[in-house]
Amino acid sequence: MEKELNIVGKRVPMHDGVAKARGTAQFTDDLVFPGMLYGKILRSPLPHARIIHIDTAKARKLSGVKGVVTGQDIPDRQYGIVPKARDEYALAKGKVRYIGDDVAAVCAVDLEAAEEAVSLIKVEYEELPAVYDPLDSIKEGAPVIHEGVDHNTSMSIRKEFGDVKKAFAESDHIFEDTFYSQAVNHAPMEPHAAVAQYDHLGEHFTVYSSTQIPYFLRRNLASTLMVPESKVRIIKPKVGGGFGQKIDMFAKDFCAAWFARETGRAVKFVYERDELFISTRQRHPMYITVRTGMKKDGTILAQQFKAHADGGAYNSTAPTMIALSCYFLMIPYRVPNLIYEGHHVYTNKPVGGAMRGHGIPQARFAVERQLDLIAQRIGIDPVELRVKNSIQAGEPHPAKFIINTCGFSDCLKQAAEAIGWKEKRGKLPKGRGVGIAGASFPSGVSNMSHISSGSVVQIGQDGAVNVLSGAADIGQGAETVIAQIVAEVLGVTMEDVRITAADTGTCPMDPGTFGSGVTVRAGNAARLAAEEARKKLFKYVAKHLDVERDDLAVKDRFIYLKSSPGKGMSFKDALKGYQYADLPMPIVGRASWFAPSTEPTTLFKDDGNFAPNYSFMAQAAEVDVDLETGQIKLLKMVTAHDCGRAINPMLVEGQLEGSVVGGMGQALYENVIVEKGQVMNPSFLDYGFPTFLEMPEIGAIEVETDDPIGPFGAKEAGEGTQLSPAPAIVNAIYDAIGVDFKELPVTPEKILEVLEKGGGK
Amino acid sequence: MKKIISLSINGDQYEVLVSPNQTLLEVLRDQLGLMGTKRGCDLGACGACTVLINGEAYLSCIMLAMDGVGKEIQTIEGLTQTRELHPLQEAFVKEGGIQCGFCTPGMIMTAQAILNEAEKPSEETIKRKMAGNLCRCTGYKKIVTAVMSAAGQAGEEV
Amino acid sequence: MKLPKFKYLEPTSMKEALSLLGKEGSAKILAGGTDLLVNMKHKIEVPSVLVNIKRIEGLDYVKIEDGAVRIGALTSLNKISQNPFLKEKVPALTQAAVKVGSYHHQSMGTIGGNICQQNRCKFYNQSEWWRSTNGPCLKVGGNICHVVGKKGACYSTYCGDVAPALLALEARIVLQNKKGLKESSLESLFSGKGLAPLKIKAGDILTEIIIPETSLQGRSSYRKFANRESIDFPIVGLALWVSPEKKEYRAAFTAVDRRPLRAKAVETFLNQKDLTEERIEEAGALASKGAQLVKTSLYTTAYKKKMMGILLKQALKETTRGYRS
Repeated sequence: MEKELNIVGKRVPMHDGVAKARGTAQFTDDLVFPGMLYGKILRSPLPHARIIHIDTAKARKLSGVKGVVTGQDIPDRQYGIVPKARDEYALAKGKVRYIGDDVAAVCAVDLEAAEEAVSLIKVEYEELPAVYDPLDSIKEGAPVIHEGVDHNTSMSIRKEFGDVKKAFAESDHIFEDTFYSQAVNHAPMEPHAAVAQYDHLGEHFTVYSSTQIPYFLRRNLASTLMVPESKVRIIKPKVGGGFGQKIDMFAKDFCAAWFARETGRAVKFVYERDELFISTRQRHPMYITVRTGMKKDGTILAQQFKAHADGGAYNSTAPTMIALSCYFLMIPYRVPNLIYEGHHVYTNKPVGGAMRGHGIPQARFAVERQLDLIAQRIGIDPVELRVKNSIQAGEPHPAKFIINTCGFSDCLKQAAEAIGWKEKRGKLPKGRGVGIAGASFPSGVSNMSHISSGSVVQIGQDGAVNVLSGAADIGQGAETVIAQIVAEVLGVTMEDVRITAADTGTCPMDPGTFGSGVTVRAGNAARLAAEEARKKLFKYVAKHLDVERDDLAVKDRFIYLKSSPGKGMSFKDALKGYQYADLPMPIVGRASWFAPSTEPTTLFKDDGNFAPNYSFMAQAAEVDVDLETGQIKLLKMVTAHDCGRAINPMLVEGQLEGSVVGGMGQALYENVIVEKGQVMNPSFLDYGFPTFLEMPEIGAIEVETDDPIGPFGAKEAGEGTQLSPAPAIVNAIYDAIGVDFKELPVTPEKILEVLEKGGGK
Repeated sequence: MKKIISLSINGDQYEVLVSPNQTLLEVLRDQLGLMGTKRGCDLGACGACTVLINGEAYLSCIMLAMDGVGKEIQTIEGLTQTRELHPLQEAFVKEGGIQCGFCTPGMIMTAQAILNEAEKPSEETIKRKMAGNLCRCTGYKKIVTAVMSAAGQAGEEV
Repeated sequence: MKLPKFKYLEPTSMKEALSLLGKEGSAKILAGGTDLLVNMKHKIEVPSVLVNIKRIEGLDYVKIEDGAVRIGALTSLNKISQNPFLKEKVPALTQAAVKVGSYHHQSMGTIGGNICQQNRCKFYNQSEWWRSTNGPCLKVGGNICHVVGKKGACYSTYCGDVAPALLALEARIVLQNKKGLKESSLESLFSGKGLAPLKIKAGDILTEIIIPETSLQGRSSYRKFANRESIDFPIVGLALWVSPEKKEYRAAFTAVDRRPLRAKAVETFLNQKDLTEERIEEAGALASKGAQLVKTSLYTTAYKKKMMGILLKQALKETTRGYRS
């Protein structure tokens, strides 16, 4: 691969960091248009009910109100990011399925009028029995949440690889354990928002939306509005975090567009914080039973999983979540025989959707906890047990994943060493302990129909480079990384590159920010487009200097001969010459990138390589449990991450550090508490995710493996690290007090309860 | 009944027509176009709306605009009004203390309030006083580094 | 979320304020606003008249008079937590002040406002739409308490950090109205009832907090047990004041009852006797006696009960270090 790099691999600040620091970066709620109206949504106060009648008369008459809409007024079109799972209307039709379901919307000249108007809408409901636990929901006789869906199970997957029965028969040990992972809210700092405009002449919509998926949003919006996709343009402003919660269309997008068309004015919807906790998305709570068959030396022979995911009232990304949860049980450990049975079950509760890790953290919790339980039971060190079963690069894989690079065992060893495993595990005073866990994540999914990204790179007359990309930067730095890649290829500086991204009207398509695929996918597309542009320029330079094109390279805005680096011409002169010699136009390179795969596959039908490449990581945690109060302090977490090669080490560290604290939140602090379908803690006050004072010491170790598929060797870094901090912490709690927790979160209350009953070592 | 009040913001005098039930955050954003101050929760539990009132860190979402009269109000837009960045802003950018950027104005203003109180606050003090500013992206580490660096304590281990 | 509309009054003198409050029967006083304005956005407190008293001069001070500490009700929590004299003599108060909410709340919030904060409950501190699922509870004019599922009484819990510290310091308060000043114990301010937690009449303003001289001659501390180290209300808060020489013990809890509570059973048990490890244990077992714990928050009463004992023991051990037998 490339040896000496100029900009890739450097700690370059975010290209829009200054704007964000000055407060001039524009988020959706910062957009203001003349005559703009404000919208508010009326939500269901009941968990399950038929809508008998909606009386909007008073709301319509209120001074300042310009529009009211209910489910009855909108087309009969359901939406969803995964075609086979479309089960939700923009506004509920016929019935509501959870407290918070979207029922109606208003728009008015100011927020005050909009809020008042919403309170004036009277809905007559016929209450229906509701069900809250997925294990109750699947039983005979449970209330039917979606007609035609048996046992409230909207999605099931059963995959078998190898011969599990035979493998269990050959196992020296068989262990079975059940685990539970709780509902977690992404809680991005920026509330969901949309501003829509409608042009009556061209009959087209422009919608600014705080979204992770501009192109999917376009599709869903066009479909639900029943207009061609070409009539909908989605522009993504700065997004204040998403973590998966902004993957989906929401009522705010639809209603803003709807009212923009009805009124001819721009319309803005911004959600309140409690709406984010109740009516957007959350991480699926999951019950997972794992059965593992092992040789007595600790080699895993087979695993069998049964999982029930609490989907809440609608599907959202159900099929993808369940599939990811399944497939990612076969990596990072060698599991030659596997059965996975997973069910996505409806309940009358908030909706589960994509959240950083998307089904894998729950599975990872189960696997990593059980590995530790097994390590205790058979007397093998937990790190040794993991290293022993670790996948290596290039090995054949039961589900046909192609793993070109794999630094997993290195990650395990380095994380363990950095935490002081040998000196500490089993040796610290009661209350202190260390634990480890590992995981793997795809850099985007190829195995999910057409997932590709396009890019256009234009080199202007004066040497400035303009990049068009569909990549949706939500704060992780996608645009910065793409700019670095382009700058590296063209031998220019970061300041020379400007990115225009995530505008479906002008930029090539990209599926969006999910599955951690942006760097690999959009990065590769930008790289190829830049290479094409460079090729065109080099063709001219080669002719002009009378040299072979292959002998040319460019660095620091100087095009030189590899064979004789002093000779060449400046980038600027080359451009000028190019324009005068032949075509007086910008040089344009365009490319698209689609993960290579041997056969096209879809998740449920066939196996095949799931992702262009896979990242690997291990976290080691050190905790201190206060034996008197039960409080758990995460003292330190070390995360060792194989992301191939870091395009921007500072941004990668940012992802790792954020993921560690996110994982810590999942382990110790966060829980969406629902009583009778009602979220009891829909606020930053009561949903207490970590502050500065809960911050652990964080160590990030980069394990480089230089992947052949990723741009400049890169693999994902945005999601993988949030997969396994939770089990690492809970494993450490075992080491600290000898108590095995199989449920998340682990709270001081639970610890005290166990210690009191005499539990622990 | 609306009333005309005078607010001194970032050294500028504004005459604004406000209702008593308008918060300072609403007036800043909806009437004066000062969008740098953000609305994260509107209930005073996240710090995204932090502004300085006579140099102290206040939550503008739970403060009446009327209460701003007679005070020196400073928003993120007032930290620097030239091409040069304020040292805090430089540090945040350089140290990678910014990801999505939504919490950033609030973080920087709170940091400024802390520096207004003491020139070289300890890391412990910084964490304690910034703990009312929530961030979901960074895990806080690089923000602490940035504030320490701006306070002239670069090099101290975080 | 918009604040509801209200008539807004901004008196610039005490005389004016008292006159206005005397006239407007249902007026609410606005100090720092960090409690009231949030409740107003939730539409659980919807005063038709709001009287902002922050323009009144002369209510922001910390002074010593005849050995006693006098603190103006509008003194910010930040100022209190940083006052060197208070830190040295009555650390329970400064430790409590620095634990209220976050740094911002301490800049904005006043000692008077913090004492007079509204009680809390998981069914009460929610938006108007959220509360429409269950219908109005007693505290917002309905006729049922959703926590216990019955009519009769409101069980909302007092969760302020400063009040228990002041109770342990046997603080007194000054209430002023049109007719004049009245001094009384802080304890007498609290009704113990969830519906109307404060015994403050329309027309009264809390203007001063007095800490008697005798309280400055003891060791004190405030311990806050909460989910996180910032922003959160206490799960249990404990203030302890001890005079080792006099063998006098005062303990006050918050977040365990409708009002902040002196732990009388503990005090009776400990007073006038030597403190030993066993006695500390026994005191711990008495910690929750007298507290009517009701699950108005996300934490169970069993857990709060446990924590009351644990905090008390920890506080006793630490505060009496060096002279315990």
